[in-house]
Amino acid sequence: MGLLNILKKLRSNPEKELRLLLLGLDNAGKTTLLKQLASEDVNQVTPTAGFNIKSVLSNGFKLNVWDIGGQRKIRPYWRNYFENTDILIYVVDCSDHQRLEETSHELAELLEDEKLRGVPMLVYANKQDLATALPSSEIATHLGLHLIRDRTWQIQACVATDGTGVKEGMEWVCKNIPTKK
Amino acid sequence: MTEIMSTEDTRDHDRVDDILRGFQVNWMNLRDADSGKILWQNNEDMSSPDVEHEARVPKRILKCRCVSREMNFSSTEAMEKFRLEQKVLFKGRCLEEWFFEFGYVIPNSTNTWQSVIESAPESQMMPANVLNGNVVIETKFFDGDTLITTSRVRLFYV
Repeated sequence: MGLLNILKKLRSNPEKELRLLLLGLDNAGKTTLLKQLASEDVNQVTPTAGFNIKSVLSNGFKLNVWDIGGQRKIRPYWRNYFENTDILIYVVDCSDHQRLEETSHELAELLEDEKLRGVPMLVYANKQDLATALPSSEIATHLGLHLIRDRTWQIQACVATDGTGVKEGMEWVCKNIPTKK
Repeated sequence: MTEIMSTEDTRDHDRVDDILRGFQVNWMNLRDADSGKILWQNNEDMSSPDVEHEARVPKRILKCRCVSREMNFSSTEAMEKFRLEQKVLFKGRCLEEWFFEFGYVIPNSTNTWQSVIESAPESQMMPANVLNGNVVIETKFFDGDTLITTSRVRLFYV
């Protein structure tokens, strides 16, 4: 399921331009996920010291996916990229037990932000191929997803490096693009 | 007669100077967007605006259903209204253009922008020998209305 195919599915949407925002701690797998969506080699991924954007155009319809670096020193800049977001995609490294609290805290801050109010959210519970990875249900509990009342959300187990679960997540994204901003 | 710049003008001028000095295009590539495979990549410093770069691209790129163009750039300075205009020119005539608004740029950041576009149907595609050496990808980077740099790449189909 490439980005162009996603875009084709979205064509019935009245909006001409869509913006997906990928966030999460450093090393969560955001860039790998983005590359996987574009069938690109995922072995050369390096930490993102800024943003990576993929813009896809098809029949006058435009999809922009924004992947913003997750390093601690970059996180204060995340807010600059919130505006006009149609779907928030939050990526979690499920094998990084030590930083579960940190990622929960970052997510809680995002969910409180006015600019992201009501924006549907997909959480990718990434790195499920690792033996130490917590299942997505446990990640959901840690993140307190069940307490969310003001937006639709979904959690999807995935392995960004081989694409497992990525397509399912993007299908949810396609179905949950808000029709009105 | 000497005109004296106001402090504000000087400050603006200095800021623009800092942005220009701190901006660099690191690399650019072209991919078959269906397979994600790189067909051409350039790793030389592409920030010098006076140089026209040359890309020797395999002819089969013209058969690709969609092609992506990816650019990687760094900025030491923060920018508020960063944007680009990318044009594909055939003998100076614009065949295709992209306008993209990035908005904020993080100081000391390295960023990539990739655009994917479906190719014209093969029946409408000009043959390689006609296109060869006549296609230029021109990318202009701006902060608001201030032009930061222009990158020009001339395509040769081999």
